[in-house]
Amino acid sequence: MTGSLTPRSGIVFDIREFTLHDGPGVRTTVFLKGCPLACTWCHNPEGRQHRSQVIHGTGDSRVVGRRYTADELAVLLLAQAEILRASEGGVTFSGGEPLAQASFVADVIDRLPDVHVVLQTSGYGGLAAFRSLATRSSLVLFDLKLIDPVAHACWTGRDNRPILRNLGQLAQLDRPFVVRVPLVPGVTDTRENLEAIAATLYELPTLPRVELLPYNRAAGGKYAACGMTFEPGFDEDRPLNVDERPFERAGIEVEVA
Amino acid sequence: MNERLVALRDRVRTGAYKAYRQATDLDLVAECEAEQLSWPRRMARLTRRQCEAERVVLGPAERIVFTRTVTTIPTVYRPDDLAELTEGRTLHEGGLLNNVCADWEMALGQGLLGRRRVALDSRARALAAGDAGAIDFLDAAIETIDAVLALAARYAAEARRLGMAEVAAVLEHVPAQRARSFHEALQSLRLLHSVVWLSGHHHVGLGRIDQYLWPYLASDIECGRLDEEAAAELLAEFFISLNRDSELYPGIQRGDNGQTVTLGGVRRDGSDGVNPLTRMALRVAREVELIDPKINLRIGAETNLALLELATELTRKGLGFPQYANDDVVIPALIEHGYAPEDARDYTVAACWEFIVPGRGMDVVNIGAVSFPHAADTAIRAGLAADEPFEAILGRTASEIRRQLRERVESYDRLLWVPAPYYSVLMTGALEAGCDHGSGARYRNLGIHGAAAASAADALAAVRRHVYELGDVDAVELLDGLEEDFAGREPLRRLLVDESPRVGLNDAAADELLRRLYEWFADACEAEATARRIVRPGTGSAMYYLWLAGGAPQEIPEPLVGATADGRHRGEPFSANLAPSPGTRLRGPISVLQSYAGIDYQRVCNGGPITMELSDTVFRGRESIHKVALLVRAFARLGCQQLQLNALSAETLLDAKAHPEAHRDLIVRVWGWSGYFCELAPEYQDHVIARHLHAAA
Repeated sequence: MTGSLTPRSGIVFDIREFTLHDGPGVRTTVFLKGCPLACTWCHNPEGRQHRSQVIHGTGDSRVVGRRYTADELAVLLLAQAEILRASEGGVTFSGGEPLAQASFVADVIDRLPDVHVVLQTSGYGGLAAFRSLATRSSLVLFDLKLIDPVAHACWTGRDNRPILRNLGQLAQLDRPFVVRVPLVPGVTDTRENLEAIAATLYELPTLPRVELLPYNRAAGGKYAACGMTFEPGFDEDRPLNVDERPFERAGIEVEVA
Repeated sequence: MNERLVALRDRVRTGAYKAYRQATDLDLVAECEAEQLSWPRRMARLTRRQCEAERVVLGPAERIVFTRTVTTIPTVYRPDDLAELTEGRTLHEGGLLNNVCADWEMALGQGLLGRRRVALDSRARALAAGDAGAIDFLDAAIETIDAVLALAARYAAEARRLGMAEVAAVLEHVPAQRARSFHEALQSLRLLHSVVWLSGHHHVGLGRIDQYLWPYLASDIECGRLDEEAAAELLAEFFISLNRDSELYPGIQRGDNGQTVTLGGVRRDGSDGVNPLTRMALRVAREVELIDPKINLRIGAETNLALLELATELTRKGLGFPQYANDDVVIPALIEHGYAPEDARDYTVAACWEFIVPGRGMDVVNIGAVSFPHAADTAIRAGLAADEPFEAILGRTASEIRRQLRERVESYDRLLWVPAPYYSVLMTGALEAGCDHGSGARYRNLGIHGAAAASAADALAAVRRHVYELGDVDAVELLDGLEEDFAGREPLRRLLVDESPRVGLNDAAADELLRRLYEWFADACEAEATARRIVRPGTGSAMYYLWLAGGAPQEIPEPLVGATADGRHRGEPFSANLAPSPGTRLRGPISVLQSYAGIDYQRVCNGGPITMELSDTVFRGRESIHKVALLVRAFARLGCQQLQLNALSAETLLDAKAHPEAHRDLIVRVWGWSGYFCELAPEYQDHVIARHLHAAA
């Protein structure tokens, strides 16, 4: 019934080496294709769909999205595992959303013994899937966008309850983790939201470190090539409210990336 | 940098020194003929008359002086007579010793009067032995020493007259005597080095300054004559002074003048040579922010990260240096190629990349290039037309590499150096032996580069994959495509580009061919070795990455290539040095390093760097600097040989192309050297931009 005899495969939209913002040291990041969220500020629109697609550049077109078996991807990553380890780094799984391909990612991680693995996730996914990947990772970079459920559904298209539940789980797992808050002007950077996030984190059994990620104006750059329209729904030019105080007041270590 | 240094640098940047240039138009031929001078004596006379023609320039607030005023190098023979003298011989880049490095340690330590005593002793021995050639050479050398001493004396007297007591005191002592302080050592070096240029030599290297200048600085610090800050100010002024006269120095493009220094690495005895001056030089170069000197840093797998981070801070400036060389790989390879262990450990980097020995080397490190794309392309076309198996194409490639190499080497077996009495004064053992450095140097090997290897390996890999393994490309169709530059065959071209193994992705199917290309190249070089000299295969490309694809501004022996089987259109440039082909969709620097780690650098030892562009955005923040340093250490730990890491902003480059007037100071690495972007020919500008756009994508 399980179909476990079929080699599991997953779909990846990019593999980038020497990614600087995806964890410690020299890292290679695997971007899993497909994401259940539809954040209007997403800067990786080619990571949304769970299937391969043609991207039309100004010069030529290319197919984005390649299927790998867990073995294939692990072989590729293992070829550089030693040098990544010697360079204080490892492998990061990002997306899209890795939780959406949790069994595949878990299979890959199981083939990477002694590699420092970072899971970069929106937190949106089933509890079992989340536990399975979080427990296999050395560090979790957990995105937290909006605490208000209505606002969350409005800006990402999804309910945030699974995210908050997984965050609670994570705090009990004895795994190092960092909460990353993308600061989107007028959406996530409001005083109310930042205070609500700080309050949520304050309730956790262990206080995580927080990174505030200021909005990147290049977000809309790739939409046209993907045949999509960038409709952020907020004013990109509005000055950002980069405010660390709600976190500092709660005794939470915070930095602006 | 303090106000004084900023003012000195501004004078360089605005070209203020050009006001001192004079048209001298010396005619030495009549004089040489009247005195019936030998060739060595004529070259000595040239140095002497050039020194005499120099006008003393003491700029405001200068503490390290000498500015070139003489702009031209006169000839010493009538053209017909010179032609007769050199008939049937190969003159490398004009025949004046170039692209070597003097024994500056010895020259500063002995002073010119010390060298003069050595010459006189040798002369006495030569006289006793009746060796007329040696006497002639030594008399010529002494004439040049006296000329430099007279020039220094004129500078000293003028400084006295103007009340510049410190400058006067320094020049009353050096370069005549052994330097006694860091200041004297730098001034002595400035003058001795400038006269090499003035004598007509080019690509005049400065070598391991942190090794040979450190004892002077260390003793100054010990006895309280200098503190760190005062020393850094002197070093900065010396670095600035190297840029005063550079528009007079010949090169393919301005900036290609070979004023390199090499920092770090082990000493001649194998102990760690990194010292406080190593770090100071990296910091000072970052503050001075000028083209010269170009910095090379010798590292190894165990080099500490703090030093690599300091070097990364310099890379961040976007000057295109430091360039890294891996001692763990370079030293054993030089020993393997016949260099004595203490000389191998003392290596410095020539104008671009090649590893040379200061004072003892007269290697011609760049006699040309073997065009790998041409070798692979002729083999592919002939092999496919004859319906041969793939191994036969590889065999043809190897033979073509051998053929090209033999052609280049043959002409260099008729190599002739113009006598160099002055440069010989500064070389290890030339005066002692009574023999010109050009003919008496210990190492007189030839170096040749294998250019554009990634493109050749990609072309071979594409043919093997599609014609021989998958069978989805028909040989005749491919031949037609190559012939017609893929006109009307875009799907075929895209297949070759997108669906073939390529160098830079750590893909064995392409990397194995890359490795074999260099093995055939090394085999061919070994076959050309004689008892007198070896041929050193290298991995640089110089300007050949453009010339082999699009034609050269002058006639070159290296053959051009049309469209190639990796899907490259006719005329599109190759990649420079060791870099994946333009257009390859890379994952990033780790796989690139891994691809190139496969080359057997113990056999391919002439030098030639892995070349990478990192967007300047990568260098923001301490954490990122640390990561770049880790990447550099990974390069060394993977066993690669040499690395050129460039920080570039595509926006800046594009803006500089559109508004050159606003970017006169923009410096970029071009191939083995850095130049002012706005002074590069448009095709070089375009290539630099394309490289960076690709790296940022």
